[in-house]
Amino acid sequence: MSLLSIRNLHAYIGEREILKGVNLDVERGEVHSIMGPNGNGKSTLAGVIAGNPKYTVTEGEVIYNGKNILDMPVDVRASEGIFLGFQYPVEIPGVSITNFMRTAVNEQRKYRGLDPLGAAEFLRLMEEKKKIVEMTTKLANRSVNEGFSGGEKKKNEIFQMAMLEPTLAILDETDSGLDIDALRIVASGVNQLRRPDNATIVITHYQRLLDYIVPDFVHILYEGRIVKTGPKELALRLEHEGYDWIRHEIDQQ
Amino acid sequence: MDELIQQFGQLRQQLKKNEVWRNVDFGTVLTDSMRLPHADEGGKYSFHCRVPNIDSYCVITENGYCHQSLMETSEGIVYGSLRAAKEQRADLVALVMGRGSGSDNPYRRMNDAGYSDGVFIYVPQGCHPAKPLQLLSLHTAEASLFMQCRNAIYLGDGSDVTIIHCDDSTNQHTGMSNNVTEMVMGSNAVADYYKLQNINDNSGLLNHTYVTLAAGAHLLSVGITLNGGTIRNHSEVSMMGEGCDVEADGLYINDHIQQVDNYIYVDHLHPSCHSRALYKGILDDAAHATFNGHVMVREGAAKTEAYQTNRNILLTDKATVATKPFLEIYNDDVKCSHGSSIGQIDDDAMFYLRSRGISEKSARTLLLYAFCDEVVGRIRLEPLRQRLSDLIKQRLHGELVVCAECALACNSHCGCSDSEFTIDPTLL
Repeated sequence: MSLLSIRNLHAYIGEREILKGVNLDVERGEVHSIMGPNGNGKSTLAGVIAGNPKYTVTEGEVIYNGKNILDMPVDVRASEGIFLGFQYPVEIPGVSITNFMRTAVNEQRKYRGLDPLGAAEFLRLMEEKKKIVEMTTKLANRSVNEGFSGGEKKKNEIFQMAMLEPTLAILDETDSGLDIDALRIVASGVNQLRRPDNATIVITHYQRLLDYIVPDFVHILYEGRIVKTGPKELALRLEHEGYDWIRHEIDQQ
Repeated sequence: MDELIQQFGQLRQQLKKNEVWRNVDFGTVLTDSMRLPHADEGGKYSFHCRVPNIDSYCVITENGYCHQSLMETSEGIVYGSLRAAKEQRADLVALVMGRGSGSDNPYRRMNDAGYSDGVFIYVPQGCHPAKPLQLLSLHTAEASLFMQCRNAIYLGDGSDVTIIHCDDSTNQHTGMSNNVTEMVMGSNAVADYYKLQNINDNSGLLNHTYVTLAAGAHLLSVGITLNGGTIRNHSEVSMMGEGCDVEADGLYINDHIQQVDNYIYVDHLHPSCHSRALYKGILDDAAHATFNGHVMVREGAAKTEAYQTNRNILLTDKATVATKPFLEIYNDDVKCSHGSSIGQIDDDAMFYLRSRGISEKSARTLLLYAFCDEVVGRIRLEPLRQRLSDLIKQRLHGELVVCAECALACNSHCGCSDSEFTIDPTLL
């Protein structure tokens, strides 16, 4: 059974239909990349899987780990192991990263029937996970994302992913706003977190990221549907030729 | 009903068109069975503040009367009942009473004419007391009472004092308090003044605070309204010399049909003074809040810096806020700003927190708590700040109630369920 199986997914934001019948299967241990022009539904797909209430699903199903997750609240999906790395991480003044992460880790542990982590144990875990994204500053003292640079925000996303150890991570344009060094650090963080029993969906515009995080499959999401799936070389072709040939192919069908 | 109480209820009619007072209506608080307190009701309440690590010079006013004789510490601090102070140390009382500034109003005049008792505090020149001073006004009598307290505080030149002032109900009887606190600060005096209010839903509190600062004095005032039927905080601060600094912040958390009305008037009369007022509020159910801020910058007050902000979160469609920040400036060489906002919990922030596995309830509490933290974080007395953080978490969880103790001391509902927020990030 696939870790994630999406069938004929239709979703709206307000009156506008964004997803028009998406099908996608992701197995454990795989990395999938979703590419496609702006405004064609990539972030919507990520948001629908994570459970953002601003989208309405009208048709289709999303089966994760054998469970239909569309009726699950956002936080339950997270506790089930789904993680969304935000394209635009939200600034939350007054909430320290420490309190935020400790609350998140312990609520997820509670969901799984585990005892909460004590303060010392938690702080040790934080120090360990900070290394994965080479967080050297006292980033953890600060309010969540407040006043962070673009690079710090994205590093903080991967740091949270490291803390929560998700089974399915969806990274929504994690490479946007990153300089070369930050890109390498973020990608290396994601690679360190790969295990045979988890999977990653990487949404990106650029082949560059895929030099670091090598996908098993590349999907093209166009006008609300996945219109083409191929090996990693497909991303290279997009880099060179853009999306016109895809449009052309679809028009011919 | 006593004639005096009736008269108080009718003041609303006189002031209906007065911009400063028109929002307040205490008529609804008054009941037929309400009476004036007797001097011998109370005095049995023994108290020591159980906030961990706070040891204070404490004066209690119980049902409008203070039963503590006048004390004098080795540092020369004189504190105790105002009645006693007027008899024994009229010279010291005269330093405050009648010397305070602030505008006249009919409620204040009623207190002038008929206060029962209150607290007197005298801190001599240059004194830095080792302990905070604590004023505690309690309604403990098993009766509906109309109370008028008068507190007078004198802080000598160069003194540096922390004052904790609590208003609490210890039962569900209706109470109406019309309390006046006057504080006179000498030159370069420093006061951290913390005001905490936790009275029951049936009670009203009209809390006048008039502070006068001499040159170079510094006032930090943090007022926190945790609960109360109808509360009006009427504060007037006058900076009577150069180089004064006033930081006056407030936080109110109200639900049911509670009403809270904060008025603050800051008067800049001399050059190079700085003032800041930040008031924040969370309104649930059908609660109603009013904010009226008024910064007056007089002609001679060059190089003034004055800032005023009011921010509100409404949790329901029925909760309401009326906010009016206001600047009145008669000098060109100033930096001033004012602003207010009314909003809801941010959906994006909620989704972000919940997407990490945090339940809706916890995410909401975390965001509301973060909203409060900006004000609570101003408290410089660490054990008090910690205790208030806990009380606010309990309040946001709907677990804080009025009981037989004051809110700071009470431990009966401290099995706070959100132990998730216990790490102090500053220790990392």
